[in-house]
Parts: sequence; structure tokens; C-alpha cells
Amino acid sequence: MAQVVLKEIVKQYGSLYAVNNVSLTVEDGEFVALVGPSGCGKTTTLNLVAGLLPMTGGDVLIGDRNVTDLDPKDRDIAMVFQNYALYPNKTVYKNLAFPLQMRKLSKAEIDTKVMDAAKVLDIVHLLQRKPRELSGGQQQRVALGRALVRDPQVFLMDEPLSNLDAKLRVQMRTELKRFHQDLKATVIYVTHDQLEAVTMADKMAVMSGGFLQQYDSPKNVFEHPVNMFVASFVGSPAMSLIPLEAINTGGKIALSSSEGWQLPLSEANSKKAQTASTSKIVLGARHSTLQLHKSKESNSVPGRVYTVEPTGDVTFVQVFLGGATVIVSLDPSVDVKSDQEVWIEFDQERLHLFDGETEMALTDP
Amino acid sequence: MSIATEREIAARAKRPIRFGVLRQMVDRRSDYLYVLPALIVMMIVIAYPIYYTIELSFFNTPSNLQMKDKVFIGLDNYARILTSRSFREVTMNTFIWTVASTFFAFLLGLGAALSLHREFLGRGVLRAVLLIPYVVSAVAASYVWKWLYHSDFGVIGALAVQFGFTDRPINFIDNIHTVLPSLIVVNIWKEFSFAMIMLMAGLQTVPDQLLRAAQVDGANAWQRFWHVTFPHLKGVSMVTVLLLMVANFNAFIIPWIMTSGGPAGASDIWITQIYTIAFGRQRYGLASAYSVILFIVMMTLGYFYVRALTRGDDTRVK
Ligand SMILES: Nc1ncnc2c1ncn2[C@@H]1O[C@H](COP(=O)(O)OP(=O)(O)OP(=O)(O)O)[C@@H](O)[C@H]1O
Ligand SMILES: [Mg+2]
Repeated sequence: MAQVVLKEIVKQYGSLYAVNNVSLTVEDGEFVALVGPSGCGKTTTLNLVAGLLPMTGGDVLIGDRNVTDLDPKDRDIAMVFQNYALYPNKTVYKNLAFPLQMRKLSKAEIDTKVMDAAKVLDIVHLLQRKPRELSGGQQQRVALGRALVRDPQVFLMDEPLSNLDAKLRVQMRTELKRFHQDLKATVIYVTHDQLEAVTMADKMAVMSGGFLQQYDSPKNVFEHPVNMFVASFVGSPAMSLIPLEAINTGGKIALSSSEGWQLPLSEANSKKAQTASTSKIVLGARHSTLQLHKSKESNSVPGRVYTVEPTGDVTFVQVFLGGATVIVSLDPSVDVKSDQEVWIEFDQERLHLFDGETEMALTDP
Repeated sequence: MSIATEREIAARAKRPIRFGVLRQMVDRRSDYLYVLPALIVMMIVIAYPIYYTIELSFFNTPSNLQMKDKVFIGLDNYARILTSRSFREVTMNTFIWTVASTFFAFLLGLGAALSLHREFLGRGVLRAVLLIPYVVSAVAASYVWKWLYHSDFGVIGALAVQFGFTDRPINFIDNIHTVLPSLIVVNIWKEFSFAMIMLMAGLQTVPDQLLRAAQVDGANAWQRFWHVTFPHLKGVSMVTVLLLMVANFNAFIIPWIMTSGGPAGASDIWITQIYTIAFGRQRYGLASAYSVILFIVMMTLGYFYVRALTRGDDTRVK
């Protein structure tokens, strides 16, 4: 196993920057999830690490070795593809044996390695079948097996669970996590399902428009998003963002809405707000930090219920407030209706402030 | 006793099926109505000529086209064809012509498709150029090639002399040993672009990810072709080869315009032979018998062709 270092890697398609100056270090044995919306350059980044695409600029290091100019086969990596990419005309056994055959191992060696991998993944009984005779989950395991047999330095996985149904995905998620723990493997894992990222990864790299937005532990990314993009991308439902206007009310700052109400900020938050480059401040709050009142209370601001979405455990309520919609989670026993007047209370300790121009998070000065 | 019951069971099992088909036909009688006009046209332009050809093949026909004077001679026409020496020669020619043309046109088409699949400067231009043989009319191409091959004025012969391969211009199509290969070359030139188009379409459907997976697994370019691309092209290759075979069996324009089967029948294939017998020697009965034989061979080929075409559908249903 080895460390992987990306140094300012760039991939250009014509005038489009699919990957723009991305630098990050994946420590030995770490599980890193690459997340971001569709088309943000996740697959491209992974392919650059694998050496499947020519790079426009930058370097890739795997275990202290600069592999920038090496072929995929010489990089000592294994890849699991989004739709498994199993060889359809070969049996499962031959699929697993293929990378070993290409490396000219002896028949006996191939057989032991294939059987070992098949046992680990519980696919021994499937070895003589063709890929199309397998279920999605089984195919997934075979694809994983083909990566496993080679005992590579790094595993690259491109949305390996995206084709599975919800239940199987949860199950395979646990298996993958287990597999990572047992092997102490270095894994770079692309997904657009952030729940996968949060549950499995040691670190999360959030990408958007070819740029790396934030690279940190899932906890930190969730609690301290560096900008509005990350804030709105991570978490489900997403963080509510309300564009407001900062006004100075004798030392302290209050946020004023176009609807006329004002939200006075705490001392700490006021200091943060003062670092903004403009008076436009975006207030961010996660659904669980908001409180909904049916009558006016101090420190709460008025809004109107838009929709009520019961999900079983919690009920999500969308509230029109200050020209934006805010999502609040409620106990299902609380009874609210559409168009009802409500009052929302913010938790000063756990709200987020963003600069309205730069969209960056405002932090303590 | 037990046998009787078994029969009963079998009969009972059978009845609903037959009833079902009939029932379906009755239920869908309006569907048959919709295809009726097409069916009638097909009957007139296809079924009747086939029937008439088969009928004529049992007669000795007069050369003046007075078909009421034809004489029934049973299978004599067939016997005559199958035992004649020229039939064996023509069949051999047809076989060589079909197999060689198909094989090399396919191989060349595959090579062209593979080299055009990669991106490089001037790919579009080259693709357009390689498509020319396919779009040029066969008649025009045949005349052009006839001149290229000409023993006195031919460019190819002149070039061969210029570069010192021979000291005399080569006699491509007036020589019984070189005429068939020369025609096959023209045919390959004409047909390989068709194979190229088909295979290029096939190549587009090879999943990129599979090739990438193979690349990560350590396969070199040849191994990727052999383990991923080629198996993927199996279906389209089958269809292409069969289409080429059928077209070559039925080939007429190139051999007829360039040599009309000559010299001394050295480039005669079934179709040109039939044409000569019918319209050169006015022996329609004999020509019809010949056509029926060709028809049977073609139907056999056609059967395999349709099976190859529909095989994909079957697996999808399964
Ligand atoms: N061969 C190509 N030619 C031109 N542009 C490309 C090519 N491949 C990808 N792109 C562009 O590069 C950008 C990044 O693509 P990429 O496949 O890395 O996205 P992704 O993050 O993996 O998205 P998804 O979640 O949908 O898989 C996209 O805007 C895409 O349109
Ligand atoms: Mg992708």
C-alpha cells in the first residue's frame, strides 16, 4: 500500500478545464471519497491517477514514485468501474484471472490467487458463470475481485455502487468498508452519493467545476464548509441558505431581510460578519439546528409553511422565509399545514455565515 | 390403457396451442388486412416470377419466345446442368470469387475501420476517401478498372513496366489465369468500404470502460483488440460476412461489364452463366433450372443470415 499525491493536476478538453489545478495527498491506507455534482471532473481525476488519460499538466506520485509518464499497467493500481466493465465473453474465473494472465503468472499461481479472492468475496460458486448471468451485486463483487487479485498499491473506484438498488447499496457499502479495514488499502472512491462518502471515507474531497473545493474529514466538511457550494452540496437535505443584508445596530450586527424583519447576531457571529467584503451576507443553517414555533417568540423570525414532507422518522417542513426556502426537521407528531404562519428560531452557535460576493465562509477574524 | 391416456393428455395439451394460433389470427384479422396490399404486390412481383421460373425449369423452351410451344422434359434440364463439365468450372469460379472477395473485403474493411477508429489528423478526409468505392456506381467503376487493366493502355501495366517489375505490360483480363483474381481485386476494392462502415459502427459500440479496464489490467493494444474489441464485433462481423457473401453470389455488374465471363469462360460465375444461357443462347428452360439451383443455395444462405440477425433478439427475450 502506498501514499498517493496529486500535484496541481490539470486536464483540458479544448477550452474546457475538466480538472483544474487539483492538489491533494491521500495517506497510506486512507479511504478518500471524491464527491461532487455530475460533470465536475471526478471520473476525469480518477482516470488521470490511473493514467488512462494524458494529463495537460501536473504530477501524480504513488508511493514516492513519480508515475506521471507511466502506463496504467505500470502504476500498480487497480480500478473498479461504474458499470463494472466485466469482460462479457469471459467467465467469472477468466475475468479474475485476466489481469494475472496479462502479467504472465503461472497457471498454478493464477489459480491460487483467483480462488483466494473468490473466497474473500464469496463468489466461488459463481466462477463458471458469465457476467450477464449474475445479479448486480454479484457483478459488483466480481469487479472488486478483479481489482483484488492483483494486490495493487492503490484501489481506484468510480461509483462502484451506483447501479445497485438502495438496499444492496447499503449492504455493499458495509462490505466495502470492511474490505478496506481488513486490507488497510489506499482507496480513492468516486461517488455522487454523499451518504456513501460520509459513512465510508476517512476524508472527503469535494469537487465542483473541475476545482477541488474542500478536502477534509467528513465531519469537518459537514460542520465547517468552506464555501456556499460545499455547504449546499453536503448534507441531506441540503443546508438552507438565506441571502440577507448586514446592518450595524450599535456595535452588533443584525441581518435584515427584504421582508422587513431583522435577526440580531451574537457577539461572535457579529465579528465574523464584519470580516465580509460586502454588506451582503448569506445565512446558512442545517435543518436540525432550526426550531419552529407556531406563535411569535423572541429571537424568532416569521415565515410561511410551503410544503410538509413526512418521511417517517422526521417530518421535513419547507418554510418561505426572507425570500428563500428553509428546511426544518420536526417530530412527526407536530402538526403544521401548508400556508400556516410560523416562526423560526436560529441557533447562534451552529449557524453559518457566508460572504455574499465571494461565497466563502466567514470565519473568526 | 396407460398409452391411451398418454395420448389423450398429449392431444389435450396440443389442442389449446393450435386453437390459440387460429384464435390469434382471427382476433387480429384487421392486422392482416393492413398488410394485404403489400402482400398482393409481393405475390405479383416476387412469388409469381419464382413460380414461373420453377415451372419453366421443367420445360424445353423454343428460342423464339413462343412459350406455348414449350415441351415438358421433367428433370432433364437439371440433370444436364449438374453433369456438365462447365457447371463444375463455373461453380468453382463462383466459389473462389465469393470466398476470396468476401474474405479480403472483410479483412481490409476491418483494418480500415480499426485504423480510422483512433483519432488522428486528417481522419475525416481519409474516411471520406475510403468511402468513395462504396458510393461510385459499379458500372462506372467497372469501366474505369477495365481501362486500368488494359493490356496496351492500362495504367497499372505501364507502372509495372516503369518500376521494372516486368518488361512487357501485363495482360490482366485477357489471360485465363489472371482474369479471375483481377476481377476479385476490383470487387474487393468496391466492397471493402461496406465492411468498413459496418465495422466502424460496430466499433462505436465497444464500451470505452471495457478497454480501459483491460488497459489497467495490463493488456497491450493487441491483447485489448483480441480480448475485448474482437469478441464485441462478432455479431456485426457475422452479419457483414453473410451480406457480402450473398452480394457476391449475386454479383453481375463487375464480371459482366469487364469480361462477360471470358476469356473462354475463365471468369464465368453462376449469374453471368445464367445470363448467357438465357439471353445469349435463348434457352430459358435451362437458365431457369440454373436459377432454381442458385435460388436454393441463396435461400440456405439467407436462412443463416436471418438467424444471425435475430439471434440478438432471442437472447434479449430470454
Ligand atoms: N472526452 C471528453 N471530451 C470533452 N469533454 C469531456 C470528455 N470527457 C469528459 N469531458 C467533460 O469533462 C467534465 C468532467 O467530466 P467527468 O466525466 O470527469 O465528470 P464526473 O464528475 O465523473 O461526472 P459524473 O458524476 O456524471 O460521472 C464534464 O464537463 C465533461 O463534459
Ligand atoms: Mg463519472
